[in-house]
Amino acid sequence: MSELLIAKNVTKAFEGLVAVNKANIVVKENTFTMLIGPNGSGKTTLINCCTGILKPTAGNVYFNGTDITGWKPHQIYGVGFVRSFQIPLPFVGLTVLDNVLGAMRNPGEMPFKATSKRAWIEEEEKNMERAMEILAKVGLSERWDMPSSSLGAAQLKLLEVAKGLSSGAKMIALDEPIGGVDPASAHEILSHVAELKKEGLTFFVVEHRIDIAAPFADYVYAMDLGTIISEGTPDKVLNDPKVIEVYLGKGVGSTCSE
Amino acid sequence: MSAVAKTERKAPRLIGIRELVLLAIIIALLSFFIFSGREKTIWAIVFEFSIFAIITLSLNLETGFTGIPQFGRVAAVITGAFAVGALPGRLMAYIIGEPWGAEYANAVFNYRIVPVINELLASNIFYSIGFLLLCLFTAAVFGAAIGWLISRPAIRLKEAYLGISLLAFGDFFMWVGHNWNIMVGGSTPINVPDPFRIFGGDRFMAAVLVLFFIAIVIYIYLERLTKSPFGRNLKMIRDNEVSASAAGLDVVKVRTRSLVIGSAIAAMGGGLYVIYTGSIGAIGFQKLTFTFWPWAYMMLGGIGSNFGVLMGVMLLVILKTMIIVFRYDWFAFMVNVGIDPMWLEFTLMGAVIVLVILFVPHGLVPEKVEPVLPEERVKRVLAKRQLEKTSEPVS
Repeated sequence: MSELLIAKNVTKAFEGLVAVNKANIVVKENTFTMLIGPNGSGKTTLINCCTGILKPTAGNVYFNGTDITGWKPHQIYGVGFVRSFQIPLPFVGLTVLDNVLGAMRNPGEMPFKATSKRAWIEEEEKNMERAMEILAKVGLSERWDMPSSSLGAAQLKLLEVAKGLSSGAKMIALDEPIGGVDPASAHEILSHVAELKKEGLTFFVVEHRIDIAAPFADYVYAMDLGTIISEGTPDKVLNDPKVIEVYLGKGVGSTCSE
Repeated sequence: MSAVAKTERKAPRLIGIRELVLLAIIIALLSFFIFSGREKTIWAIVFEFSIFAIITLSLNLETGFTGIPQFGRVAAVITGAFAVGALPGRLMAYIIGEPWGAEYANAVFNYRIVPVINELLASNIFYSIGFLLLCLFTAAVFGAAIGWLISRPAIRLKEAYLGISLLAFGDFFMWVGHNWNIMVGGSTPINVPDPFRIFGGDRFMAAVLVLFFIAIVIYIYLERLTKSPFGRNLKMIRDNEVSASAAGLDVVKVRTRSLVIGSAIAAMGGGLYVIYTGSIGAIGFQKLTFTFWPWAYMMLGGIGSNFGVLMGVMLLVILKTMIIVFRYDWFAFMVNVGIDPMWLEFTLMGAVIVLVILFVPHGLVPEKVEPVLPEERVKRVLAKRQLEKTSEPVS
């Protein structure tokens, strides 16, 4: 398994506030790597630095051997690394199907070709078949023609995953894919993700509902106050006294282990 | 089961009830002019409709589809007007050996040169057509260039700042034209060669029909442009910039394209306006007429809906003309309460904006959320897929 995403000493400071402090992360290919941590620990900021939404103050990000530090999101998309958002950001003026199609490339995106249907219809139909397959995978195929604004919270999260998948990316960063979703739907979303992992995709998932997400994870990083405090297999990290301390408070970890 | 029920919904109508009612209202209003013996007014309405349909459709491309707060529509319109006022006429003057430099923009020379050019254009239908096409081409090229130029500093700004910058650009261009005498005469209007002179007495009717035809062509072009992957990209950026960027779109590039195309079309509208009126005075291009009225038309018709824009322009142009024609017959009583009917048409625009925001915020013909391809086509592709699936052996 090669190392797909490497974040080396990534630091992000907003004025004086250091949100991420020298974080080192390695995501291996075809794994479900999880990033956990309490609210405000810098998880989303780290993902934003990796996917180009924010520019890291210091440090480097490598994807598949390429230095992608400070690239724009659409450039990072181009090398096969996409992300979803914590708060789903659907394109509300488009149908579910077009939301997914929007992340696929087509010659009809050039204004000169757009007016002649013949130039892009073939590609569009090909994309459409793939988009429907993806929608079937995340369980949205029956709603393809509905406005995306009519979807519920869990379905919007799934639509975010579908948008990520449609790009044909190697790696997808999911920012709290089950945040604000009821446990049953949360399990469903993660099962869909686990299915997709079997097909060779790599997932980097930010989550703080560790109880639901941990069974799916191969490797876990724990963050607190901008630094990585623990890493390893789920069992190891979840039993790490430092992790228990940040989640439950001082002293709890030590009493448990005694 | 529900999937089966869903796919058997009734086929979408080609034209909805709403559109039919609007068309009926428009026809009724137009026939009112005929019955009151003012058929000629209809030509004026169609002229104004054509010009403002072009300008408002271009505004709709930038604002309705791309989400750019285009408060500087007049900038592109005025560029087209200046380009048509200054360049093709000079080229003609150069060809026939008349002064074409700074003198061309001097009223004394201009009023002598332009009739000579007109005579030449009227002598041959191909000269006329060629000159008209040359004007449209010049306007589009300069409009596109100015759209690109404006987009450089402005495109990276956020909504409100972008809107204000564009607004400032609009006024900036007008004042440049007003004070730069050697371009189009500055504060003294100059004449523009008239490619429609060849129709003689029917000149105005022929010109109106040609303008109407061009407006419809532009409508069809924009309809095809926006119902394509390109149009989808525009809507993605309008709905969410960050998400569109994460979906692999170069936001700056796509917004620039939209501004360039929109400005080129708006410039053609401005160019046609000066060709029709036969003269150009920079001060005539006020942001009230060429930015805020198109906004009112677009808001009434439906932001993001090309057909709605056509309806909005038609309806408001008719109402405006009605007020202008009948204001002293119908509204003379208003003088008694201290309102001069002179300004009623301006009141109308303000009232329309307020009423639209209050009662029909999405416009008379709102934008539809529908797949880029027609629904039947999507279904056909899906059915094909279903067939392939069922043909596989069931395990």
